[in-house]
Amino acid sequence: MFFHLLTGVAGAVPWKYIVRRTLYCVPVYLGIVLLMMLALRVRDPVPAFMGKNATVEEIAQRRTEYGLDRPFFIQYGIFVGRILTMNFQQESWQQEGRTIGEILRGGLGPTLALTVPALFLTTIVSVSVALVSAWFRGRLPDRLLVISAVFGMSVSFLVYIIVGQYFLGFAIRGSTGAAPFAISGYESLQQTSFVEYATTKWPYYCLLPVMISVLVSMGYDTRFYRAVMVDESQRDYIVTARAKGASQPRIMFIHLLKNAMIPVITRVSISIPFLITGSFLLEMYFRIPGIGRALITAVFQADFPVVQAIAAVFAAVYLASNLLTDVLYAMVDPRVRLS
Amino acid sequence: MTTPQSRSRVWRKLLLHRPALISLFVILAYVIAGAAVLCGWITVEHTDAAYGAPQIPGFGLSPEPDERVEDVAWYLSKIRIPLSSLKPEEALRSFPIKDLAAANVPVEELRQRLADADQQLVELRQIPDINTSVASGGSDGKQAIDQLRTLEQKSRELFTLAPDVSPTYRWIHLSLGTDRLGRSILLRAVYSIRVAILVGLVTGLLSVAIGAVLGLVAGYFGGWVDVVITWLYSTFASIPNIVLLILMVYIFREGTIDEKINDLTGNLLKRLLGGVRLDETLVPVYVAFCSTFWIGPCRVIRGEALKLRELEYIQAARVLGYGRNRILFRHLLPNVSHLILINFSLLFIGAIKSEVILSFLGLGVQEGASWGLMISFAKDEVVNGFFWQIGVATVFMFGLVLAFNILSDGLQDILDPKHV
Repeated sequence: MFFHLLTGVAGAVPWKYIVRRTLYCVPVYLGIVLLMMLALRVRDPVPAFMGKNATVEEIAQRRTEYGLDRPFFIQYGIFVGRILTMNFQQESWQQEGRTIGEILRGGLGPTLALTVPALFLTTIVSVSVALVSAWFRGRLPDRLLVISAVFGMSVSFLVYIIVGQYFLGFAIRGSTGAAPFAISGYESLQQTSFVEYATTKWPYYCLLPVMISVLVSMGYDTRFYRAVMVDESQRDYIVTARAKGASQPRIMFIHLLKNAMIPVITRVSISIPFLITGSFLLEMYFRIPGIGRALITAVFQADFPVVQAIAAVFAAVYLASNLLTDVLYAMVDPRVRLS
Repeated sequence: MTTPQSRSRVWRKLLLHRPALISLFVILAYVIAGAAVLCGWITVEHTDAAYGAPQIPGFGLSPEPDERVEDVAWYLSKIRIPLSSLKPEEALRSFPIKDLAAANVPVEELRQRLADADQQLVELRQIPDINTSVASGGSDGKQAIDQLRTLEQKSRELFTLAPDVSPTYRWIHLSLGTDRLGRSILLRAVYSIRVAILVGLVTGLLSVAIGAVLGLVAGYFGGWVDVVITWLYSTFASIPNIVLLILMVYIFREGTIDEKINDLTGNLLKRLLGGVRLDETLVPVYVAFCSTFWIGPCRVIRGEALKLRELEYIQAARVLGYGRNRILFRHLLPNVSHLILINFSLLFIGAIKSEVILSFLGLGVQEGASWGLMISFAKDEVVNGFFWQIGVATVFMFGLVLAFNILSDGLQDILDPKHV
């Protein structure tokens, strides 16, 4: 349906452009994997994992076991082959018995439970705030909003997390005894029905991190959307609408918002990789077992296969969503296709 | 932009743009403070030493009575350790609290005074719920607070100021309180300016320089040069920022890369750093930031160079037979200088904020102090309801980042008004 809506607005699907753009992704992805694999081998992965007590034989044995003694380009070929065939059967070094595929799948749910609502809420709230700001352009509410956005952007993400966790996690518990938010931890869907989960467990574990995430991104998003809307409100068609006698709400919501949707869509699709990579800091701090946390723990434990695979998957997601953004943009604005 | 007239116009606009001007002065103040720290005004030892009891609030505010009792206990324990060593006279000379020394009396009398104070401490600790009884203002409370005051007086008599410290300095060192290891929050916050300025300047300048050169070359020459550079930045841009940061710092850990560089260059590194390992310096942070930060300016400047290349003045320069370098750096570069300036100030902010995240992950600054270290160290204090360290670090950082935010907005208004 979404697709139909877009083609309705933007005309035919630019197949030629899509093919060209997709082909361009191939060398870029090969390059990413190459750079990443080289970078991961600067510090020899096997001794880094096994520590100082491992003997030379043990290190050599593990090296052969994982094919790390072969020439680099053969390793490269094998790894690219695995990624292309989505083969994530290799075992993690640290968590014995778990494959990389299991780790990735296990992290996906918690990460999405955090990031999808966060992205959704952030977009809705910032577009609304930006509309209000653009409505009052130059007057007191607008100025206050702009100033508070700049102020909010100047405080570190970590401070929001620490202070938010203290006041909404600890302090409420201490003063009222009620516990609306978990301080840390996560529970997955398991046997509970989705509705029950979404109304009880999810708010308990995820609402606080989601609120913090929305608060942090609002500064940046609101500023951007406000600039877009102010820019748009100076266009000729707005003047025409006003001259025609359209009411201010009609101009704002019907004329302006529709045209301002293009940058909104682009910005949202740029943030799609964030859905998967998640917010490392929130996952670390609230102990939510998402993918970002899995990557960071793997880095600290020098769990080489996991680090390598997760980084490669992240890069693929990044590339795919950039592709999607460009295609959407090309559909909305046909001039892009020519360049 | 190159003619003196237009340059003075930009300056005039900047002078008229009051917020930008004010933030420029704020940044200047931070830079001066950072330079002063760099010259040895505050050293690493200052940031590590204990100055007073743990978690004292700043501005000379006094904590709750039960905490005051514990503070006295801390001071007493600090003097008990040297007194109970085998050679007390010697141990007393190297005193564990910065700014303070043991009172100038014989060891025997010190022991006497300590025992006396200890006695009273035990009595005070036996009072149940001292906070509420003092707050209620009853006779018990009054008695307790009097007892506490005399005990504090006694504990103070055990110490004198160290000979090279004036009372004003002592007051300044404690003016913003201490963290949970008794270290001075003010000294740590001011020392961190040095780290912030260094990280911001070095990564900002380096990444803008790399981005500008590559972007100009790609945009101006086009062809395969453009293809290679576009490939390079698309590749780097497709690795999530934080993943690249973590990978870069991971590479530098435990000194393996040092050995490699030393082997390749004939111990160049060892001679340069004099035995210090790379991961003990800020170098991994610089490399990690530069490897992600150059992409933004490169992309923007390449786009601008693509546009400028078709303009008449560049074609005229080409017809006049000017060399490539002359066109690139005398004709093109000045005309993208506004983008360079804006991107630099944006990257400066990015560097300071990313430093906090790296420090939280334990991958950032390793010794001394930084706002990131302070904020992540403060999370255990916040659980106890002590906000001085996180508050001070946030305020210091807020000032600098806000000034740069306002400055880059101002620069954008002045130099690139068409930008959304």
